[in-house]
Amino acid sequence: MNTVDEILDYAIEQEQLAADFYEDVAQRVETAGMKKILLDFAEEEKRHKKILLAVKTGEHELTPEQEILDLKISDYLVEVKTSENISYQDALIIAMQRERAAYNLYNDMAQKVPDGKLKHILLGLAKEEAKHKLFFEAEYDERVLTDN
Amino acid sequence: MSLKDLLSPFFVWQRAFEKPYTTLRPTLDRPGAPAYRGFHINITETCVGCGSCQTICQNNAIDMVAVEAYAGRAGDSGLRPRFDYGRCCWCGLCVDICTAASLRMSNEYAWISDDPDSFHFTAGVDDKPWQDNELGYRRAEGYHLNPPKRIEMPMLSAQESLKSFAEVTLGYNEEQAKKEADRCVECGICVATCPAHMDVPDYIHSIRDGDYEKGLQLMYRTNPFPATCGRICTRRCESVCPVGILGEPVAIRWLKRFIVDQVDKKDYQRILEKPIASTGFKVAIIGAGPGGLSAAYYLRQQGHAVTVYEAQATGGGMLRYGVPSYRLPDAELDKDIDHITSIGVEIKYNSRIGKDVMFESLLENYDAVFMSTGLSVPSSMRINGENHARVLSGLQILADVASDRDPGIGKKVAVIGGGNVAMDAARVSRRLGAEVTILYRRRISDMPADEEEIHECQQEGCTIVPQAIPVEIIDADNKQKVCIKWGEAKMVDDPKGGRARPVLQEDKMHTETYDCIISAIGQSSNLDYLSKELQEQLAFEWGKLTPAEYQHTSMKKVFVGGDFANRTADAISAIEDGHHAARGINRFLNPDFYTALEKQEN
Amino acid sequence: MTQLTGHSSALDFAQPEPVDMASGKYVKLWQGPQHPGITGNMSLELTLDGDTIIDCKTHVGYLHRGFEKLMERRSFIQNFTVVCRIAVPEPTFNEYLYSHAVEQLSGIKIPERAIWLRTMNLELMRLASFLMWIGGMSGAFGQYTVPNWTTAYRDFVLDLFEEMTGARIYHMYIVPGGVRAGLPDGFEKRARDIMDGAEKLLDQVERVMFNNAVFKARSKGLGIITPDMIDPYGIVGPNARACGVERDIRKDEPYLAYDQLNFETITGKDSDAYERAYLRLQETRQCISLIRQCLDKAPKDGPFQADMPNVLHWKIPAGETYVKAECTRGEYGYYMVTDGSEFVRRVHVRGPSYTHAIAVMERLAVGNNIADIAGLMVSLHTYPPEIER
Repeated sequence: MNTVDEILDYAIEQEQLAADFYEDVAQRVETAGMKKILLDFAEEEKRHKKILLAVKTGEHELTPEQEILDLKISDYLVEVKTSENISYQDALIIAMQRERAAYNLYNDMAQKVPDGKLKHILLGLAKEEAKHKLFFEAEYDERVLTDN
Repeated sequence: MSLKDLLSPFFVWQRAFEKPYTTLRPTLDRPGAPAYRGFHINITETCVGCGSCQTICQNNAIDMVAVEAYAGRAGDSGLRPRFDYGRCCWCGLCVDICTAASLRMSNEYAWISDDPDSFHFTAGVDDKPWQDNELGYRRAEGYHLNPPKRIEMPMLSAQESLKSFAEVTLGYNEEQAKKEADRCVECGICVATCPAHMDVPDYIHSIRDGDYEKGLQLMYRTNPFPATCGRICTRRCESVCPVGILGEPVAIRWLKRFIVDQVDKKDYQRILEKPIASTGFKVAIIGAGPGGLSAAYYLRQQGHAVTVYEAQATGGGMLRYGVPSYRLPDAELDKDIDHITSIGVEIKYNSRIGKDVMFESLLENYDAVFMSTGLSVPSSMRINGENHARVLSGLQILADVASDRDPGIGKKVAVIGGGNVAMDAARVSRRLGAEVTILYRRRISDMPADEEEIHECQQEGCTIVPQAIPVEIIDADNKQKVCIKWGEAKMVDDPKGGRARPVLQEDKMHTETYDCIISAIGQSSNLDYLSKELQEQLAFEWGKLTPAEYQHTSMKKVFVGGDFANRTADAISAIEDGHHAARGINRFLNPDFYTALEKQEN
Repeated sequence: MTQLTGHSSALDFAQPEPVDMASGKYVKLWQGPQHPGITGNMSLELTLDGDTIIDCKTHVGYLHRGFEKLMERRSFIQNFTVVCRIAVPEPTFNEYLYSHAVEQLSGIKIPERAIWLRTMNLELMRLASFLMWIGGMSGAFGQYTVPNWTTAYRDFVLDLFEEMTGARIYHMYIVPGGVRAGLPDGFEKRARDIMDGAEKLLDQVERVMFNNAVFKARSKGLGIITPDMIDPYGIVGPNARACGVERDIRKDEPYLAYDQLNFETITGKDSDAYERAYLRLQETRQCISLIRQCLDKAPKDGPFQADMPNVLHWKIPAGETYVKAECTRGEYGYYMVTDGSEFVRRVHVRGPSYTHAIAVMERLAVGNNIADIAGLMVSLHTYPPEIER
């Protein structure tokens, strides 16, 4: 992966894979409510994919300079395995940790390439993932950590 | 007659050369004094429509009228005062009594219009040129027509209260209660806000009249747990009480308690109940908490045979096992429950559904089923090391203490969480002789616990460490001890306007050793008594469900209520759920009755 | 010049012989209810022999608004907005007495600052009322310059009221429990300036009105009240003081801050229209001194209202009280009965005009001519609204 387009294609594919993942888990969970939540997550990933497609065609600019708040909630939570009877809390933890992993991946890649367009794109993608992580972490903060 | 007397009148000419007093209206404007009582201004955003202005107006010049923009706003009657300048005498009493200080007067005093109807206007809603006038009459600082301070509740000192589990609040005496009852402005915003829609102004009125039996009757119309709610209600009513906008809200909860304290249990039957005619229908209720027993009470009053199934050895649910007795003594809870059983509600204790009795058999044997099993499973923090043997749950400690078991907490404990369970666990630990530190991830002002409880908790010597985020539980050298690693958080404002979020600062970590760590970060429901199919059929989502109208579920016979079926998860909401379900079940069992009743009402 | 038809003296209370109207010798003339002065809506039914009055009957009822009854249907706080209307030119005395009666019956003690602010308010009111009265007195004798001066200057005093209370006429400032606000910024300076101006004005008034040959000729000897009339008629205030009777509630039974103010009761010798007028002029000067003392001594901060119950359902224990104060016309009193409910059981307002405008006026009018009647009425300083509360 050396060109900007390759990187973007990879990222777009990752978003699609994430969407597929949630849809797949949604098929297996037992309750209708949980199914709906997971399908919503899948929709969220598809929205991310759309943004990246727009970046590829030049309609949208990535903003690596933007400061994204890191709530650092997912960093200290025990990892969750997907199963048929996951709770909303579990689903959020999975989502947060996936976004965190993606963020770390792009960030690490960016450290290894020289300054230039490629680095710019990688950092931009990392920021994009950080935004997604914030989305789920904020949700977790709001809905799960109510008494805490 | 002297010459002087003839001449002196001519001195009037002397004044002919002085500047005249007259103001040249309309060429020159003469504004009213800065505090002039001119035309009315109402800051409709601040106004809550309590209607005190209407009550105090001796000319009936004020009518409270519905203003669409404020319809349905929380803590707001949706009404705003409309002034009739054919009646107004500009005394300004409306300004003086205004609970929100939203009503004031401009110093404008001239208004010419050929439309007589324009002198009948809703201040702040109908556009008038003086609406933004900065000057004019305002209620002076330090001037009150209603005492802004509430009568303080007599309480045990913090030292005294730590010695035992005796009730901390001592209750008003008659003089105090009457004084406090006097502060009510009878707006009724509390009635709309109370989940059970208790008739607050009327029972407070009964205190002023000294008619406590009437007060009790009024309370039992909507709430069969007045002794309990008079002590531990979350009192949404007080949060919207307009008297609380500028001063302290009326102590509605303590007044409710006062009424109950005045009436002896043995008189309840005579005061409250009429003979019950049996309908022949049978209703089963799962859970003898406030929701289940409230439904039981109102269903029994309608003449249905009611059986309540309770897994524990005594009734009350979370009220008994989650609320320590220094806040709600057992005797008070029993006063409520005993009256419910006295009218013929049968409670089967130690009967766990799914084990002792099957849910399916209830569906078969009863005409309707009401489920209210609450939230009994403590949430987990999901951090590493959480399964350590010295990490205890707040709920478990409260239940142990309520059942006279020693929870074995040791001498130095940390409580994690900021809700009422966390505060109670902390205060119970203090009473058991432990040194208590509360770790909470946000600010003290963000704590979901009752403000008074937080205050009393601090009074009793608990240390609250706000903005502390637990990140890991670590084994200590000693098996009887445990370490917790937590980091300091800084609060970051939510750009979208939500509450500020805590952000962990990884460079500011602390590790501390305790005898145990009490986790109290929330609860969820235990639905093990329902099969997966039934859970799905009832449309449970993450252990909770949203009932349809009249607390009905998607299953024909089944109604639900209480903590697992509402968002607020407090006693008063559960009580209302139960009452509402009772109405629904009644309707469901006897549809003709309701059709007839509706016809009668129309 | 006194020619009392059917009566030997002012203290002869026998029923007089009816006037033989059928004889054609006499004419009946109604003076009022509209007067070209400040006496308000009250009517005198005069029986004339030529232009000499041989009989006078006072008729009231043109201004009856039933205040005492209205108060029985309103809460204790609402009433304070009603009472000010009982005496239009000096509402404050009603506000004070009503509030004072309510406070007595409910056991409320008002704070020091409220006491001083009330005293100052009452004296300002006395000043405004006298300024208007001087105009009326002067006008009644055909001099229209002085009324222009004094009623216009009264407006400066009303400006002070406007600043202090938020209204010019119906101040509604003295409220059960205290007063409604402290003094606004800069009030003291403006009040002192206006007092200085008033002092100058009164000197000018004295010069052109009281040293006026015509005024003297017409008012001296008009409507003489003798000391022996005071008690049988219940004459109070300047009307009584003008014949040498020292009777002033501010001194006799000091209320508010009057025991801490430095002033002497002013008395006259022969209470005729001139003497009474001159005494009022002196009392107007005394007002200015009292207001200045209040400005000096009134506490600048501290509470101005006692702790109050919620006035929306304020009940006052059963009881009765009579409270009084010295208004411009003499003793003004409120008798109040409460029965423990949210409403007053009975209020009776005792205004000095009842005596002065009915019994005294009817007797003093006899023997005078029509032209002097207006001046006589004003010299007794009567307000019809307090006759028919």
